[in-house]
Amino acid sequence: MLLRASGEHDNVDYDLADLKDGTGGGVEDGELLIRFVDTVMNLNADAPAVDKAEIRDVLGEAALVDIAAVIATFEATDRIADAKGTPLEDYKEAATVALRKEIGF
Amino acid sequence: MTGAERIAVARETRHAPDCRLCQRQNAALSPSAVEGTHDSVTDIPAAYVEIIHRVTNDPTRLSKFWFEGVIASGLAETVYVEIVAVIGIVHSVDVFCRTLDIPAPALPAPVSGQPTRIRPVGAKHLDHLVATLVPEDLTLGDTDIYADSNAANIYRALSLVPDEVRTFRDLDDHLYLPANDIFDLETDYRAISHAQIELIAGRVSANNHCLY
Repeated sequence: MLLRASGEHDNVDYDLADLKDGTGGGVEDGELLIRFVDTVMNLNADAPAVDKAEIRDVLGEAALVDIAAVIATFEATDRIADAKGTPLEDYKEAATVALRKEIGF
Repeated sequence: MTGAERIAVARETRHAPDCRLCQRQNAALSPSAVEGTHDSVTDIPAAYVEIIHRVTNDPTRLSKFWFEGVIASGLAETVYVEIVAVIGIVHSVDVFCRTLDIPAPALPAPVSGQPTRIRPVGAKHLDHLVATLVPEDLTLGDTDIYADSNAANIYRALSLVPDEVRTFRDLDDHLYLPANDIFDLETDYRAISHAQIELIAGRVSANNHCLY
């Protein structure tokens, strides 16, 4: 939902279905970011791994740190949410009916 | 939990990915189809180990039935909340370090003392597996836990132990964004944009099959 909100703010129509297929959805360097997330999470062994050096070269050292931080906190958040049976907030649920259908949730 | 118990939970969390039972359960159609004993490196109760290993290795398939079984073994809900909170802290720190090839920090020596065992009087079973505090039910001493936020459900998930909300928010504010900044799309607070942050967050959660 927040990605969609970012797109509305930036006046860009991000393709959220691409969140699943890995092409980045129109977000700047999105495909690289998705491949890096998958590399860190040891997923998608068929896809080429993304080295930290590539992230550094394209986005910079500070971005690499921020990317690592976001991955880390959502690895934790997802587990906390699953363990507590945490539901979507009402406002998110109402705002994401079409989105969840679009990306297959 | 005592400090020693919290450290033991953290140590067990770090070890859990190597558990052979978890690996067999992950490969099975249902984790309950595979019986056995978790490979544990601590002397904490078996229920603690079960929670740590399942939340670490197979969080998507946690069910209400499983949760009720854990609680029926005699575990207080507050302890469950605290165990999961410690798991979250360890994952946050360790994944960050692993991603950047930094050694994970050594676990600290426990400080002696007894836990408060205070359960917020306003906590109710509403929409989570565990009892939670809605903003209207906060009482003196806990009124800060949702400050400067919209009391997101992920904060509420930990609210049966208010200190865990404070700890989670402290970490999450630094690793992700403070609650109010998440919705301030006019300002990029990090070296990556809001859209890039949310793309990463969304991809991690999609990979983890986490609806929240």
